Amino acid sequence: MASDPTDLIHRAQRGDQVAFEALYREHVGRVYALCLRLTSDAAQADELTQDAFVRAWERLASFRGESAFGSWLYRLTVNVVFLHFRAARRRSLRVFTTDDPGALERPEEAESGGPGAGRGAGAGALDLERAVAGLPPGARQVFVLHDVEGYRHEEIARLTGVAVGTSKAQLFRARRLLREALHR
Amino acid sequence: MMCREMEVKLNEYVDGTLDPGERAAVEAHVARCSGCRAAVAELRALLGGAQELPRTIEPPRDLWVGIAARLGRRATGNVQRAFWAGALAAAAVFAIVVGISHLSRPEGRGWAAVQADYEQSAAALAATLATQRGHLRPATVALVERNLQIIDAAIRESRAALERDPGNAELRELFAAAYRQKVELLRWATRVATAS
Repeated sequence: MASDPTDLIHRAQRGDQVAFEALYREHVGRVYALCLRLTSDAAQADELTQDAFVRAWERLASFRGESAFGSWLYRLTVNVVFLHFRAARRRSLRVFTTDDPGALERPEEAESGGPGAGRGAGAGALDLERAVAGLPPGARQVFVLHDVEGYRHEEIARLTGVAVGTSKAQLFRARRLLREALHR
Repeated sequence: MMCREMEVKLNEYVDGTLDPGERAAVEAHVARCSGCRAAVAELRALLGGAQELPRTIEPPRDLWVGIAARLGRRATGNVQRAFWAGALAAAAVFAIVVGISHLSRPEGRGWAAVQADYEQSAAALAATLATQRGHLRPATVALVERNLQIIDAAIRESRAALERDPGNAELRELFAAAYRQKVELLRWATRVATAS
């Protein structure tokens, strides 16, 4: 029998790790999908999924039930991912370019663990996953947040630290690149 | 081929964010431009495909073990509470031991100091419990409070008797026993509250 999610949240807020594990089991697929699509990197998605749940545990007391727990957790996950991107940029460990026309020429990214790799998705979905994985990072992130996850440009701007106009420009660019890739 | 200058408008058209006037203008253009009509169809197919992507992707390995290990390390609030509860309980036990030793050696620090030790230890534990009582079930809190009232009554009675007969060793032991019970009860309740 499924546990009452409100009860699980209240128990987890009181420090019950068993209840928190049940919340993890319920939401890990969605959190991992978000991390994988935003990073297009399975190892980073693993790491960021764990970071997101640890952060959620630390901040559970701040969850007041004003939104669904899932919505709160997924926004927190986006924050964790973009904090990671900013920290990585600061450390210069990995430089993301937003003008990388060669990115669409690298289908091996998807085959080596990006979204769609090794899963039983339909051919159309698989093609789209691979094409999304091959987008330049800035365009991919906005496409995932807007067209896959349903965030508005204002929310994306707030979460990612870019201007609303930049978010729109990246989205339209992502759609153009995807149409080109899918109709090649 | 889509008209290049129409790219933004066509995107906003499929997103439904144009005002009615702009929307009508785009519709009029699309009606007579096959390239833009095809682009709108592609954009709608793309958006439909994006919305149909799986919402969830299971990670290839179970990540919970790594998460659980970090929760243990980071549960600083619980660890600190447990530390302070333990430290206070230890202090209370120390006070009782010291107090009992003074009971048999009236030439020591004096009865007032012994009483102060008990009271200070019990008060510290009670303060810790007060911050943690939300972690106890209401029935447990009620039981603890009822027992504390009984013990406090015994402490008040033995203290009043000692004021009338300060040199009575038996009364001092009775007083110490009552305080020991109080400290033990507070220790137990604090331990349960910090562990839950």
